Amino acid sequence: MQVAIRILGRFIGATVLISVFLLIFNFVLLAVLIFNGMNEGGYPGAVVQQVAEGLQRRGEQFSLVDDAKATLVKNQAWALLIDEDGTVLWAYQAPDELPNHFSLVDVAKFTRWYLQDYPVFTHEHEDGLVVIGYPENRFAKYHFHFPPQWVGALPMRVLSLLVVNMGLALILSLLIGYRLVRSIRPLMEGIQALGEDREVLVEPKGILADLAKSINRVSQLLQQKNQRLKERDEARSNWIAGISHDIRTPLSMILGYSSAWEENRELPLELRKEAGIVRRQAEKLRGLVNDLNLVSMLEYEMQPLQRRPLRLAALLRQVATDFLNNGLPERFKLQIEKVDERAIVAGDERLLKRAITNLIQNSIDHNPAGCTISLQITVQEDAGVCRLMVTDNGKGIPRDMIKDLMELPYSRKRKRPRANGHGFGLPMVARIASAHQGQFRLKSDVGEGVQAEIVLPCSDKGSSFGANR
Amino acid sequence: MDNLKSKKLLIVDDEVEIREMIDRFLRKEGFTRIFHATSFQEALDVFQSVQPDVAILDVMLPDGDGFTLLSTLRKSSDLPVLFLTARGEDEDRLLGLGLGADDYIVKPFLPRELVLRLMAILRRVYAPPQKERYPVFQLGKREVDLESGTVRDHGNEWPLTAKEHALLLKLYENRNRIVTSDALCQAAWGDDYFGYENTLMVHIRRIREKIEENPSRPKFLLTVRGLGYKLMVRGDG
Repeated sequence: MQVAIRILGRFIGATVLISVFLLIFNFVLLAVLIFNGMNEGGYPGAVVQQVAEGLQRRGEQFSLVDDAKATLVKNQAWALLIDEDGTVLWAYQAPDELPNHFSLVDVAKFTRWYLQDYPVFTHEHEDGLVVIGYPENRFAKYHFHFPPQWVGALPMRVLSLLVVNMGLALILSLLIGYRLVRSIRPLMEGIQALGEDREVLVEPKGILADLAKSINRVSQLLQQKNQRLKERDEARSNWIAGISHDIRTPLSMILGYSSAWEENRELPLELRKEAGIVRRQAEKLRGLVNDLNLVSMLEYEMQPLQRRPLRLAALLRQVATDFLNNGLPERFKLQIEKVDERAIVAGDERLLKRAITNLIQNSIDHNPAGCTISLQITVQEDAGVCRLMVTDNGKGIPRDMIKDLMELPYSRKRKRPRANGHGFGLPMVARIASAHQGQFRLKSDVGEGVQAEIVLPCSDKGSSFGANR
Repeated sequence: MDNLKSKKLLIVDDEVEIREMIDRFLRKEGFTRIFHATSFQEALDVFQSVQPDVAILDVMLPDGDGFTLLSTLRKSSDLPVLFLTARGEDEDRLLGLGLGADDYIVKPFLPRELVLRLMAILRRVYAPPQKERYPVFQLGKREVDLESGTVRDHGNEWPLTAKEHALLLKLYENRNRIVTSDALCQAAWGDDYFGYENTLMVHIRRIREKIEENPSRPKFLLTVRGLGYKLMVRGDG
């Protein structure tokens, strides 16, 4: 809707601007045209003046200077000098049918109009009146008469004319613009919906029917593509789920029998130790298959989240406690730094625990010589997010490898394949964070340790929890 | 205990190797009456003829699925059921447990785990209910008797309050391991425990006054900074 209003505004502005410009342009053009028309064939006023000034008396004789003569010839004009009584004193190339004497009435008439159809113009001379005549139809003579009030009000009138014009232009443009906007609005809504990946069906009508059809086609194509992508993702996810399922049964045997041999006291100790190795490897394989399945489900958004309000602090303590209770080697120090108890998120407990576990495990795996791992939770109330940080002071990760660590192993987006370990840990954290509409950030460099951060949107219940007790 | 192992047991799985392996482990553990079924239909037939006391079901069967099988069995019987399946997704787990399964184990599994869980189910369903007894244990020179709710030391006796009892029990169940303050609060005040951390500290101090010789320098009930507490119990731990 806002876009429509903006378009309408622009349209009206442009229309008004164009009409004002046109109006001014036309005024100027008109003025130039009239001026040019008046001057076409030499301005008669100037010619008659030149003749009057060039006509000199010598005794009873009159002579015209050559310049004036030339002008007359050029204009195919003739000239007369009439004295105060109306008698012709001098003539130059005057037509024969002109009388030698003009009455007062004649003079008055031809001054305003024509002398025997010749357009004539007059100028004062010391001996009377100079008259020059042009060939018939050379000039049309008009006279205008205005009352002085009218002339005085002219600027106001012109101004109001302008205002009325502008108003008219405004109304017309509003009308046309509204119709235009009304016809493109469904299209705009359609395009907006396309941008938001919704299905679009615009009714094709009016001048933009073709456009509407195109939009519908694009929408259909997008929907089909999405559908295909979804199907492919589903197929991939199902494929991986199927493989993990198929691996699980044989793995059950390996795990089952190896652990039975390991516990069987009738077997030689050596054999039992070897069975233990097989059992541990089988368990590793089990973990790998489970991780692979989970990551694939997260990657293709097939993992349904069991979301409920969770206290991040309790979760963090639980994970840290599990690490300590399961015998974290002495060289690792796990410490809780700052923990904001108000951090509540709507999350899947198992997945979030898994993410925290992976981060701590990552620090342990990366620093076989030991390190201090600090855990922190903060709440950023203005942004409505909770931050969970796992920081170690270990040897760190080269900066250019950090992006790789977020990608799945063997993914094309990874610059280099993983050297050791399956490397699902950090990609899984990233995917768990995004499944919770959160983010996972990793900051590190050689010798600087690793700062891992999960940012999750706070649940609304957060504030009400804090009030309790 | 032995009469639990004489219960009739039905294993439903389409993989013969899995059935044989489970059979072998269970016989080794002392079970004798083990019956097999390889499909949905066969499971129903065996169920009718044998009337087993407990069933281990696979979810994916050639002619149906274990969830439907369980619903069908449930119409005529309350026998305890343990799902053993290669489908590990949360949804399946919740579906299975929601249908009234007693447990859900995902393949691959450790035989010991299967046996332990199976025994737990059998005990819960068939063993005569025995009165639950609270533990009695020694901390240094003092004896903590959760059965009578007292701490004793050569004629001195300190009674425990209900909350102190609940906290000590939780700590003892996880002895020599860290118990988070959240878990302790939950044990004493239930699920809506948030905000009791300070109260917890008060109770811990009172417990120390009873079980420690020098409460300000505890030797048994230790604080793990930022996480929770740990009850150190030597001997039977």
